[in-house]
Amino acid sequence: MSALVLTHVTKRYGTRLVLDDISLELARGARLGLIGPAASGKSVLLKLVAGLEQPDAGTITVLGDTITRPHVREVDLGELRKRIGMLFQSYALFDFLDVAGNVAFPLEQRGGIPAAEIAERVAARLRAVGLAGSERKLVGELSGGMKKRTGIARATVADAELVLYDEPTAGLDPVTTQKIYDLLAADQQRTGASVLAVSSDVAALAELVDEIAFLYRGKIVYRGPARSIRDAPDPLVRQFVRGELDGPLTEAIG
Amino acid sequence: MSGPVERVGAAALDRLRAARDLWRLYVSTIAGLGRALARRRDHAGPPRGELGRQMFHIGNRSLGFVIVTLGFIGMVVTFEACLQLSRVTGDYSTVGGQMIRLVISDFGPTLTAMMLATRVGAGIAAELGSMKVTEQIDALRMSGVLPVDYLIVPRFIASVLMTVVLTVIGTLVMYGAGGLTAWRSFAVNPSLYFDISLVRPRHVAIGVLKAVAFGAAIPIVAGFCGLRARGSSEGVGWATTAAVVGSSFAVIALDFVISAAALWVTGGDL
Ligand SMILES: Nc1ncnc2c1ncn2[C@@H]1O[C@H](COP(=O)(O)OP(=O)(O)OP(=O)(O)O)[C@@H](O)[C@H]1O
Ligand SMILES: [Mg+2]
Repeated sequence: MSALVLTHVTKRYGTRLVLDDISLELARGARLGLIGPAASGKSVLLKLVAGLEQPDAGTITVLGDTITRPHVREVDLGELRKRIGMLFQSYALFDFLDVAGNVAFPLEQRGGIPAAEIAERVAARLRAVGLAGSERKLVGELSGGMKKRTGIARATVADAELVLYDEPTAGLDPVTTQKIYDLLAADQQRTGASVLAVSSDVAALAELVDEIAFLYRGKIVYRGPARSIRDAPDPLVRQFVRGELDGPLTEAIG
Repeated sequence: MSGPVERVGAAALDRLRAARDLWRLYVSTIAGLGRALARRRDHAGPPRGELGRQMFHIGNRSLGFVIVTLGFIGMVVTFEACLQLSRVTGDYSTVGGQMIRLVISDFGPTLTAMMLATRVGAGIAAELGSMKVTEQIDALRMSGVLPVDYLIVPRFIASVLMTVVLTVIGTLVMYGAGGLTAWRSFAVNPSLYFDISLVRPRHVAIGVLKAVAFGAAIPIVAGFCGLRARGSSEGVGWATTAAVVGSSFAVIALDFVISAAALWVTGGDL
Protein backbone atom coordinates (compact mmCIF):
# COMPACT_ATOMS: atom_id res chain seq x y z
CA MET A 1 0.00 0.00 0.00
CA SER A 2 1.11 3.55 -0.63
CA ALA A 3 1.79 6.01 2.12
CA LEU A 4 0.66 8.82 -0.10
CA VAL A 5 -1.18 9.19 -3.39
CA LEU A 6 -1.97 12.51 -5.02
CA THR A 7 -4.03 12.41 -8.19
CA HIS A 8 -4.50 15.48 -10.38
CA VAL A 9 -4.23 17.86 -7.44
CA THR A 10 -4.74 21.52 -8.21
CA LYS A 11 -4.54 24.37 -5.70
CA ARG A 12 -5.25 28.04 -6.31
CA TYR A 13 -5.04 31.08 -4.07
CA GLY A 14 -7.15 33.73 -5.68
CA THR A 15 -6.01 33.84 -9.26
CA ARG A 16 -2.60 32.36 -8.52
CA LEU A 17 -2.31 28.75 -9.60
CA VAL A 18 0.09 27.27 -7.05
CA LEU A 19 -0.18 23.55 -7.78
CA ASP A 20 -1.19 22.57 -11.26
CA ASP A 21 -2.53 19.05 -11.75
CA ILE A 22 0.03 17.23 -9.63
CA SER A 23 0.09 13.47 -9.37
CA LEU A 24 2.52 11.87 -6.97
CA GLU A 25 2.91 8.57 -5.17
CA LEU A 26 5.01 7.60 -2.21
CA ALA A 27 5.40 3.95 -1.20
CA ARG A 28 5.27 2.91 2.46
CA GLY A 29 8.63 3.40 4.07
CA ALA A 30 9.91 5.40 1.11
CA ARG A 31 11.68 8.71 1.55
CA LEU A 32 11.11 11.54 -0.85
CA GLY A 33 12.71 14.94 -0.86
CA LEU A 34 10.96 17.92 -2.40
CA ILE A 35 12.90 20.87 -3.75
CA GLY A 36 11.99 23.89 -5.79
CA PRO A 37 12.42 27.65 -6.03
CA ALA A 38 10.98 29.96 -3.39
CA ALA A 39 7.19 30.22 -3.46
CA SER A 40 6.86 27.25 -5.77
CA GLY A 41 4.28 25.65 -3.51
CA LYS A 42 6.32 23.20 -1.45
CA SER A 43 4.78 24.19 1.87
CA VAL A 44 1.33 24.26 0.30
CA LEU A 45 1.84 20.71 -0.92
CA LEU A 46 2.74 19.54 2.59
CA LYS A 47 -0.34 21.26 4.03
CA LEU A 48 -2.56 19.56 1.49
CA VAL A 49 -1.06 16.21 2.43
CA ALA A 50 -1.73 16.96 6.10
CA GLY A 51 -5.33 17.85 5.25
CA LEU A 52 -4.84 21.36 6.62
CA GLU A 53 -5.89 22.83 3.29
CA GLN A 54 -8.25 21.42 0.70
CA PRO A 55 -7.27 21.23 -2.99
CA ASP A 56 -9.49 22.84 -5.62
CA ALA A 57 -9.42 19.65 -7.63
CA GLY A 58 -8.02 16.16 -7.32
CA THR A 59 -7.87 13.59 -4.54
CA ILE A 60 -5.30 12.85 -1.88
CA THR A 61 -5.00 9.55 -0.08
CA VAL A 62 -2.82 9.35 3.01
CA LEU A 63 -1.97 6.04 4.72
CA GLY A 64 -4.92 4.47 2.96
CA ASP A 65 -7.48 7.16 3.86
CA THR A 66 -8.84 9.66 1.36
CA ILE A 67 -8.62 13.06 2.99
CA THR A 68 -10.11 15.29 0.34
CA ARG A 69 -13.69 16.49 0.39
CA PRO A 70 -16.38 15.38 0.01
CA HIS A 71 -15.05 12.10 1.41
CA VAL A 72 -14.04 13.47 4.76
CA ARG A 73 -14.84 16.09 7.35
CA GLU A 74 -12.44 17.81 9.73
CA VAL A 75 -13.80 15.83 12.68
CA ASP A 76 -12.81 12.55 11.04
CA LEU A 77 -9.24 13.57 10.28
CA GLY A 78 -8.05 13.61 13.90
CA GLU A 79 -7.23 9.93 14.18
CA LEU A 80 -5.32 9.93 10.91
CA ARG A 81 -3.35 13.02 11.86
CA LYS A 82 -2.15 11.35 15.03
CA ARG A 83 -0.25 8.98 12.70
CA ILE A 84 1.41 11.89 10.91
CA GLY A 85 4.28 13.98 12.25
CA MET A 86 4.67 17.45 10.86
CA LEU A 87 7.37 20.06 11.19
CA PHE A 88 6.14 23.49 10.12
CA GLN A 89 8.45 25.83 8.27
CA SER A 90 7.66 28.58 10.78
CA TYR A 91 7.79 26.13 13.75
CA ALA A 92 4.18 26.79 14.84
CA LEU A 93 5.12 26.18 18.47
CA PHE A 94 2.42 26.66 21.10
CA ASP A 95 3.34 29.85 22.89
CA PHE A 96 1.12 29.02 25.85
CA LEU A 97 3.32 26.02 26.64
CA ASP A 98 6.99 25.63 27.48
CA VAL A 99 9.44 23.52 25.48
CA ALA A 100 8.63 20.27 27.28
CA GLY A 101 4.90 21.02 27.05
CA ASN A 102 5.16 21.48 23.31
CA VAL A 103 6.99 18.22 22.81
CA ALA A 104 4.65 16.33 25.14
CA PHE A 105 1.54 17.68 23.44
CA PRO A 106 1.08 15.06 20.68
CA LEU A 107 1.54 12.26 23.22
CA GLU A 108 -0.88 13.80 25.72
CA GLN A 109 -3.51 14.22 23.04
CA ARG A 110 -3.33 10.54 22.12
CA GLY A 111 -4.78 9.74 25.49
CA GLY A 112 -4.03 6.67 27.56
CA ILE A 113 -0.25 7.12 27.74
CA PRO A 114 0.88 7.30 31.40
CA ALA A 115 2.35 10.63 32.45
CA ALA A 116 5.63 9.00 33.50
CA GLU A 117 6.11 7.47 30.07
CA ILE A 118 5.35 10.79 28.38
CA ALA A 119 7.91 12.57 30.57
CA GLU A 120 10.51 9.95 29.76
CA ARG A 121 9.94 10.09 26.01
CA VAL A 122 9.95 13.88 26.01
CA ALA A 123 13.21 14.00 27.95
CA ALA A 124 14.81 11.51 25.54
CA ARG A 125 13.64 13.51 22.51
CA LEU A 126 14.92 16.78 23.93
CA ARG A 127 18.30 15.17 24.63
CA ALA A 128 18.40 13.89 21.06
CA VAL A 129 17.88 17.36 19.57
CA GLY A 130 20.29 18.96 22.05
CA LEU A 131 17.73 20.78 24.14
CA ALA A 132 18.27 19.04 27.48
CA GLY A 133 18.12 21.69 30.18
CA SER A 134 15.74 23.95 28.23
CA GLU A 135 12.58 22.06 29.19
CA ARG A 136 11.04 24.89 31.17
CA LYS A 137 11.86 27.71 28.75
CA LEU A 138 8.93 29.45 27.12
CA VAL A 139 8.74 29.69 23.37
CA GLY A 140 9.37 33.44 23.47
CA GLU A 141 12.73 32.82 25.14
CA LEU A 142 14.09 30.54 22.44
CA SER A 143 16.44 31.33 19.58
CA GLY A 144 15.37 30.49 16.04
CA GLY A 145 17.44 27.34 16.00
CA MET A 146 16.08 26.21 19.36
CA LYS A 147 12.55 26.71 18.05
CA LYS A 148 13.35 24.61 15.01
CA ARG A 149 14.74 21.84 17.19
CA THR A 150 11.72 21.99 19.51
CA GLY A 151 9.53 21.65 16.43
CA ILE A 152 11.53 18.64 15.28
CA ALA A 153 11.22 17.04 18.70
CA ARG A 154 7.45 17.61 18.66
CA ALA A 155 7.09 16.22 15.14
CA THR A 156 9.06 13.05 15.91
CA VAL A 157 8.13 12.28 19.51
CA ALA A 158 5.10 10.16 18.69
CA ASP A 159 6.81 7.85 16.15
CA ALA A 160 4.52 8.75 13.28
CA GLU A 161 4.00 6.52 10.25
CA LEU A 162 4.36 9.44 7.88
CA VAL A 163 6.53 12.42 8.60
CA LEU A 164 6.38 15.76 6.78
CA TYR A 165 9.36 18.02 7.31
CA ASP A 166 9.27 21.58 6.02
CA GLU A 167 12.83 22.89 6.03
CA PRO A 168 14.09 20.84 9.00
CA THR A 169 17.45 22.57 9.12
CA ALA A 170 17.02 26.04 7.66
CA GLY A 171 18.72 28.46 10.04
CA LEU A 172 20.78 25.85 11.87
CA ASP A 173 24.58 25.81 11.95
CA PRO A 174 26.36 23.13 9.87
CA VAL A 175 27.19 20.87 12.81
CA THR A 176 23.64 20.96 14.19
CA THR A 177 22.31 20.43 10.67
CA GLN A 178 24.35 17.25 10.40
CA LYS A 179 23.19 16.13 13.84
CA ILE A 180 19.56 16.72 12.97
CA TYR A 181 19.83 14.83 9.70
CA ASP A 182 21.56 11.92 11.48
CA LEU A 183 18.75 11.93 14.02
CA LEU A 184 16.01 12.00 11.37
CA ALA A 185 17.73 9.19 9.46
CA ALA A 186 18.10 7.10 12.64
CA ASP A 187 14.43 7.69 13.48
CA GLN A 188 13.39 6.61 10.04
CA GLN A 189 15.53 3.45 10.29
CA ARG A 190 13.96 2.61 13.63
CA THR A 191 10.31 3.31 12.80
CA GLY A 192 10.27 2.63 9.07
CA ALA A 193 8.20 5.77 8.59
CA SER A 194 7.54 7.24 5.18
CA VAL A 195 9.19 10.62 4.74
CA LEU A 196 8.31 13.68 2.69
CA ALA A 197 10.90 16.36 3.33
CA VAL A 198 11.24 19.84 1.89
CA SER A 199 14.67 21.39 2.12
CA SER A 200 16.88 23.92 0.38
CA ASP A 201 19.95 22.16 1.72
CA VAL A 202 20.01 19.66 -1.14
CA ALA A 203 23.28 18.00 -0.15
CA ALA A 204 22.07 17.16 3.36
CA LEU A 205 18.61 16.24 2.10
CA ALA A 206 20.13 13.77 -0.34
CA GLU A 207 21.51 11.79 2.60
CA LEU A 208 18.09 11.45 4.22
CA VAL A 209 15.93 10.59 1.21
CA ASP A 210 16.08 8.07 -1.62
CA GLU A 211 14.50 10.22 -4.26
CA ILE A 212 14.15 13.91 -4.90
CA ALA A 213 11.33 15.63 -6.76
CA PHE A 214 11.63 19.08 -8.28
CA LEU A 215 8.59 21.32 -8.08
CA TYR A 216 8.54 24.09 -10.62
CA ARG A 217 5.73 26.32 -11.79
CA GLY A 218 3.09 24.20 -10.14
CA LYS A 219 4.30 20.91 -11.60
CA ILE A 220 6.65 18.17 -10.54
CA VAL A 221 8.98 18.44 -13.49
CA TYR A 222 11.53 15.91 -12.32
CA ARG A 223 11.78 12.97 -9.94
CA GLY A 224 14.92 10.91 -9.64
CA PRO A 225 17.44 9.29 -7.32
CA ALA A 226 18.77 11.56 -4.60
CA ARG A 227 22.38 10.44 -4.79
CA SER A 228 22.88 11.61 -8.34
CA ILE A 229 20.70 14.72 -8.17
CA ARG A 230 23.65 16.94 -9.05
CA ASP A 231 23.91 15.11 -12.34
CA ALA A 232 20.20 14.91 -13.06
CA PRO A 233 19.36 14.75 -16.76
CA ASP A 234 17.03 17.74 -16.48
CA PRO A 235 19.08 20.93 -17.00
CA LEU A 236 16.61 22.91 -14.82
CA VAL A 237 17.24 20.63 -11.86
CA ARG A 238 21.00 20.55 -12.43
CA GLN A 239 21.19 24.30 -12.47
CA PHE A 240 18.98 24.63 -9.37
CA VAL A 241 20.93 22.07 -7.36
CA ARG A 242 24.32 23.41 -8.33
CA GLY A 243 23.23 26.98 -7.79
CA GLU A 244 24.55 28.12 -11.17
CA LEU A 245 23.60 31.53 -12.42
CA ASP A 246 23.48 30.67 -16.11
CA GLY A 247 20.91 28.24 -17.39
CA PRO A 248 17.29 27.63 -18.28
CA LEU A 249 16.07 28.45 -14.76
CA THR A 250 17.46 32.00 -14.83
CA GLU A 251 16.19 32.53 -18.35
CA ALA A 252 12.74 31.41 -17.31
CA ILE A 253 12.68 33.62 -14.23
CA GLY A 254 14.10 36.44 -16.33
CA MET B 1 -12.39 43.37 -15.49
CA SER B 2 -15.06 43.01 -12.80
CA GLY B 3 -17.81 45.59 -12.90
CA PRO B 4 -19.63 47.11 -9.93
CA VAL B 5 -22.43 44.56 -10.14
CA GLU B 6 -20.03 41.64 -9.93
CA ARG B 7 -18.25 43.28 -7.03
CA VAL B 8 -21.45 43.84 -5.07
CA GLY B 9 -22.50 40.27 -5.86
CA ALA B 10 -19.17 38.90 -4.69
CA ALA B 11 -19.35 40.92 -1.48
CA ALA B 12 -22.86 39.65 -0.82
CA LEU B 13 -21.74 36.08 -1.44
CA ASP B 14 -18.86 36.61 0.97
CA ARG B 15 -21.29 37.81 3.64
CA LEU B 16 -23.55 34.84 3.08
CA ARG B 17 -20.64 32.47 3.28
CA ALA B 18 -19.43 34.13 6.49
CA ALA B 19 -22.92 33.82 8.00
CA ARG B 20 -23.00 30.15 7.09
CA ASP B 21 -19.54 29.58 8.60
CA LEU B 22 -20.56 31.44 11.76
CA TRP B 23 -23.60 29.21 12.07
CA ARG B 24 -21.41 26.15 11.53
CA LEU B 25 -19.06 27.28 14.27
CA TYR B 26 -22.03 27.64 16.59
CA VAL B 27 -23.27 24.15 15.75
CA SER B 28 -19.85 22.59 16.21
CA THR B 29 -19.41 24.39 19.51
CA ILE B 30 -22.64 22.82 20.75
CA ALA B 31 -21.42 19.47 19.43
CA GLY B 32 -18.08 20.10 21.14
CA LEU B 33 -19.93 20.75 24.37
CA GLY B 34 -21.47 17.30 24.01
CA ARG B 35 -18.06 15.79 23.28
CA ALA B 36 -16.58 17.51 26.33
CA LEU B 37 -19.29 16.03 28.56
CA ALA B 38 -18.81 12.57 27.08
CA ARG B 39 -15.01 12.64 27.27
CA ARG B 40 -13.26 10.34 29.67
CA ARG B 41 -11.10 12.04 32.24
CA ASP B 42 -7.78 10.57 31.09
CA HIS B 43 -8.54 11.40 27.51
CA ALA B 44 -7.28 14.15 25.31
CA GLY B 45 -8.74 17.62 25.53
CA PRO B 46 -8.05 21.02 26.98
CA PRO B 47 -5.65 21.03 29.93
CA ARG B 48 -7.11 20.49 33.36
CA GLY B 49 -8.35 23.67 34.98
CA GLU B 50 -8.78 25.46 31.66
CA LEU B 51 -12.42 26.29 32.38
CA GLY B 52 -11.53 27.81 35.74
CA ARG B 53 -8.75 29.82 34.14
CA GLN B 54 -11.08 31.18 31.47
CA MET B 55 -13.74 32.05 34.04
CA PHE B 56 -11.17 33.90 36.09
CA HIS B 57 -9.94 35.76 33.00
CA ILE B 58 -13.42 36.84 31.97
CA GLY B 59 -14.85 37.48 35.41
CA ASN B 60 -11.96 39.01 37.26
CA ARG B 61 -10.81 41.27 34.46
CA SER B 62 -14.27 42.65 33.75
CA LEU B 63 -15.73 42.95 37.23
CA GLY B 64 -14.50 46.46 38.00
CA PHE B 65 -15.28 47.64 34.51
CA VAL B 66 -18.88 46.39 34.74
CA ILE B 67 -19.44 47.79 38.23
CA VAL B 68 -18.18 51.27 37.33
CA THR B 69 -20.05 51.47 34.02
CA LEU B 70 -23.39 50.17 35.24
CA GLY B 71 -23.14 52.19 38.44
CA PHE B 72 -22.69 55.44 36.54
CA ILE B 73 -25.42 54.66 34.04
CA GLY B 74 -27.77 53.76 36.90
CA MET B 75 -27.12 57.15 38.48
CA VAL B 76 -27.61 59.08 35.25
CA VAL B 77 -30.79 57.25 34.23
CA THR B 78 -32.39 57.64 37.67
CA PHE B 79 -31.38 61.27 37.91
CA GLU B 80 -32.93 62.01 34.51
CA ALA B 81 -36.11 60.13 35.40
CA CYS B 82 -36.50 61.98 38.70
CA LEU B 83 -35.73 65.28 37.03
CA GLN B 84 -38.48 64.76 34.47
CA LEU B 85 -40.92 63.64 37.14
CA SER B 86 -40.12 66.66 39.30
CA ARG B 87 -41.16 68.92 36.41
CA VAL B 88 -44.41 67.07 35.83
CA THR B 89 -46.01 65.39 38.82
CA GLY B 90 -43.34 65.41 41.47
CA ASP B 91 -44.49 61.91 42.41
CA TYR B 92 -41.44 59.65 42.73
CA SER B 93 -43.24 56.58 43.99
CA THR B 94 -42.99 54.67 40.70
CA VAL B 95 -39.33 55.44 39.94
CA GLY B 96 -37.91 52.44 41.80
CA GLY B 97 -40.49 50.00 40.46
CA GLN B 98 -39.99 51.06 36.84
CA MET B 99 -36.25 51.11 37.28
CA ILE B 100 -35.97 47.56 38.62
CA ARG B 101 -38.05 46.15 35.76
CA LEU B 102 -36.03 47.99 33.20
CA VAL B 103 -32.73 47.02 34.79
CA ILE B 104 -33.58 43.35 35.32
CA SER B 105 -34.93 42.52 31.91
CA ASP B 106 -33.03 44.99 29.75
CA PHE B 107 -30.33 47.37 30.95
CA GLY B 108 -28.59 44.91 33.28
CA PRO B 109 -27.92 42.10 30.81
CA THR B 110 -27.50 44.32 27.75
CA LEU B 111 -25.07 46.85 29.22
CA THR B 112 -23.07 44.15 30.98
CA ALA B 113 -22.84 42.18 27.75
CA MET B 114 -21.82 45.27 25.79
CA MET B 115 -18.93 45.76 28.17
CA LEU B 116 -17.98 42.10 27.86
CA ALA B 117 -18.29 42.24 24.08
CA THR B 118 -15.52 44.82 23.90
CA ARG B 119 -13.28 43.35 26.52
CA VAL B 120 -13.79 39.61 26.22
CA GLY B 121 -14.48 39.71 22.49
CA ALA B 122 -11.26 41.57 21.76
CA GLY B 123 -9.28 39.26 24.03
CA ILE B 124 -10.57 36.07 22.44
CA ALA B 125 -10.13 37.35 18.88
CA ALA B 126 -6.59 38.57 19.51
CA GLU B 127 -5.57 35.34 21.18
CA LEU B 128 -7.07 33.00 18.61
CA GLY B 129 -6.10 35.27 15.73
CA SER B 130 -2.45 35.25 16.68
CA MET B 131 -2.58 31.48 17.06
CA LYS B 132 -4.09 31.30 13.61
CA VAL B 133 -1.50 33.43 11.83
CA THR B 134 1.40 31.66 13.54
CA GLU B 135 -0.05 28.30 12.44
CA GLN B 136 -0.55 27.14 16.02
CA ILE B 137 -4.12 26.27 15.09
CA ASP B 138 -2.77 24.02 12.34
CA ALA B 139 -0.34 22.49 14.81
CA LEU B 140 -3.24 21.72 17.15
CA ARG B 141 -5.08 20.06 14.29
CA MET B 142 -2.01 17.97 13.51
CA SER B 143 -2.12 16.56 17.04
CA GLY B 144 -5.64 15.36 16.35
CA VAL B 145 -7.19 18.20 18.33
CA LEU B 146 -10.29 20.02 17.17
CA PRO B 147 -9.62 23.73 17.68
CA VAL B 148 -13.30 24.20 18.54
CA ASP B 149 -13.09 21.68 21.38
CA TYR B 150 -9.77 22.91 22.64
CA LEU B 151 -10.20 26.67 22.32
CA ILE B 152 -13.83 27.66 21.83
CA VAL B 153 -15.73 25.29 24.13
CA PRO B 154 -13.97 26.30 27.38
CA ARG B 155 -14.34 29.99 26.50
CA PHE B 156 -17.98 29.42 25.58
CA ILE B 157 -18.88 27.79 28.89
CA ALA B 158 -16.88 30.34 30.88
CA SER B 159 -18.45 33.22 29.01
CA VAL B 160 -22.02 32.00 29.52
CA LEU B 161 -21.49 31.43 33.24
CA MET B 162 -19.61 34.65 33.86
CA THR B 163 -22.02 36.76 31.81
CA VAL B 164 -24.84 35.55 34.03
CA VAL B 165 -22.84 36.21 37.19
CA LEU B 166 -21.69 39.65 36.06
CA THR B 167 -25.21 40.50 34.90
CA VAL B 168 -26.52 39.79 38.38
CA ILE B 169 -23.80 41.96 39.88
CA GLY B 170 -24.28 44.69 37.27
CA THR B 171 -28.04 44.69 37.80
CA LEU B 172 -27.70 45.05 41.55
CA VAL B 173 -25.12 47.81 41.20
CA MET B 174 -27.17 49.74 38.67
CA TYR B 175 -30.36 49.47 40.71
CA GLY B 176 -28.51 50.33 43.89
CA ALA B 177 -26.71 53.31 42.36
CA GLY B 178 -30.07 54.55 41.09
CA GLY B 179 -31.57 54.26 44.58
CA LEU B 180 -28.65 56.15 46.05
CA THR B 181 -29.05 58.93 43.51
CA ALA B 182 -32.81 59.20 44.02
CA TRP B 183 -32.32 59.36 47.77
CA ARG B 184 -29.41 61.86 47.83
CA SER B 185 -30.57 64.15 45.02
CA PHE B 186 -34.34 63.96 45.22
CA ALA B 187 -34.87 62.70 48.77
CA VAL B 188 -36.81 59.67 47.53
CA ASN B 189 -37.35 57.35 50.47
CA PRO B 190 -35.21 54.21 49.92
CA SER B 191 -37.99 51.95 51.18
CA LEU B 192 -40.17 53.38 48.43
CA TYR B 193 -37.48 53.06 45.73
CA PHE B 194 -36.35 49.57 46.73
CA ASP B 195 -39.85 48.15 46.54
CA ILE B 196 -39.62 45.07 44.33
CA SER B 197 -43.22 43.91 44.59
CA LEU B 198 -43.83 44.75 40.91
CA VAL B 199 -41.10 42.37 39.72
CA ARG B 200 -42.54 39.20 38.31
CA PRO B 201 -40.73 35.92 37.60
CA ARG B 202 -41.01 36.55 33.85
CA HIS B 203 -38.88 39.69 34.16
CA VAL B 204 -36.16 37.71 35.82
CA ALA B 205 -36.54 34.94 33.25
CA ILE B 206 -36.11 37.38 30.38
CA GLY B 207 -33.02 38.85 32.03
CA VAL B 208 -31.43 35.46 32.55
CA LEU B 209 -32.32 34.35 29.05
CA LYS B 210 -30.69 37.45 27.60
CA ALA B 211 -27.58 37.03 29.72
CA VAL B 212 -27.20 33.43 28.55
CA ALA B 213 -27.79 34.36 24.90
CA PHE B 214 -25.29 37.23 25.05
CA GLY B 215 -22.75 35.13 26.91
CA ALA B 216 -23.05 32.47 24.22
CA ALA B 217 -22.85 34.88 21.30
CA ILE B 218 -19.73 36.80 22.34
CA PRO B 219 -17.18 33.93 22.30
CA ILE B 220 -18.68 32.46 19.13
CA VAL B 221 -18.52 35.71 17.17
CA ALA B 222 -15.11 36.64 18.56
CA GLY B 223 -13.72 33.13 18.09
CA PHE B 224 -15.04 33.11 14.56
CA CYS B 225 -13.25 36.39 13.79
CA GLY B 226 -10.05 35.14 15.39
CA LEU B 227 -10.04 31.84 13.52
CA ARG B 228 -10.53 33.69 10.24
CA ALA B 229 -7.51 35.97 10.76
CA ARG B 230 -5.14 35.96 7.82
CA GLY B 231 -1.67 37.18 7.08
CA SER B 232 0.28 38.52 10.02
CA SER B 233 -0.21 40.91 12.93
CA GLU B 234 -2.24 43.24 10.75
CA GLY B 235 -4.70 40.41 10.18
CA VAL B 236 -4.95 39.94 13.95
CA GLY B 237 -5.74 43.64 14.33
CA TRP B 238 -8.50 43.40 11.77
CA ALA B 239 -9.87 40.30 13.43
CA THR B 240 -9.93 42.02 16.81
CA THR B 241 -11.77 45.04 15.48
CA ALA B 242 -14.24 42.83 13.66
CA ALA B 243 -14.81 40.85 16.84
CA VAL B 244 -15.63 43.92 18.92
CA VAL B 245 -17.99 45.31 16.30
CA GLY B 246 -19.54 41.93 15.56
CA SER B 247 -20.12 40.83 19.13
CA SER B 248 -21.51 44.23 20.18
CA PHE B 249 -23.86 44.08 17.23
CA ALA B 250 -24.85 40.52 18.14
CA VAL B 251 -25.74 41.68 21.66
CA ILE B 252 -27.97 44.46 20.37
CA ALA B 253 -29.62 42.27 17.75
CA LEU B 254 -30.29 39.49 20.25
CA ASP B 255 -31.63 42.02 22.74
CA PHE B 256 -34.13 43.19 20.16
CA VAL B 257 -35.11 39.67 19.12
CA ILE B 258 -35.58 38.40 22.67
CA SER B 259 -37.49 41.51 23.78
CA ALA B 260 -39.78 41.26 20.76
CA ALA B 261 -40.32 37.56 21.34
CA ALA B 262 -41.12 38.18 25.00
CA LEU B 263 -43.67 40.85 24.08
CA TRP B 264 -45.24 38.52 21.57
CA VAL B 265 -45.38 35.57 23.95
CA THR B 266 -46.91 37.60 26.77
CA GLY B 267 -49.25 39.42 24.44
CA GLY B 268 -47.76 42.79 25.33
CA ASP B 269 -48.42 42.33 29.05
CA LEU B 270 -44.87 42.36 30.38
N1 LIG C 1 -2.87 30.85 2.78
C1 LIG C 1 -2.45 31.39 1.63
N2 LIG C 1 -3.15 32.37 1.06
C2 LIG C 1 -2.76 32.92 -0.11
N3 LIG C 1 -1.67 32.55 -0.77
C3 LIG C 1 -0.91 31.58 -0.26
C4 LIG C 1 -1.26 30.94 0.97
N4 LIG C 1 -0.32 30.01 1.24
C5 LIG C 1 0.57 30.07 0.22
N5 LIG C 1 0.22 30.99 -0.69
C6 LIG C 1 0.94 31.30 -1.92
O1 LIG C 1 1.30 30.09 -2.54
C7 LIG C 1 2.58 30.18 -3.10
C8 LIG C 1 3.43 29.04 -2.62
O2 LIG C 1 3.69 29.18 -1.24
P1 LIG C 1 4.56 28.14 -0.42
O3 LIG C 1 4.58 28.61 0.99
O4 LIG C 1 4.09 26.77 -0.67
O5 LIG C 1 6.00 28.32 -1.06
P2 LIG C 1 7.28 27.45 -0.77
O6 LIG C 1 7.60 26.67 -1.99
O7 LIG C 1 7.14 26.71 0.49
O8 LIG C 1 8.36 28.61 -0.63
P3 LIG C 1 9.57 28.76 0.40
O9 LIG C 1 10.68 27.95 -0.15
O10 LIG C 1 9.87 30.21 0.34
O11 LIG C 1 9.10 28.29 1.72
C9 LIG C 1 3.12 31.55 -2.75
O12 LIG C 1 2.99 32.38 -3.87
C10 LIG C 1 2.23 32.02 -1.65
O13 LIG C 1 2.05 33.40 -1.74
MG1 LIG D 1 7.77 26.89 2.32
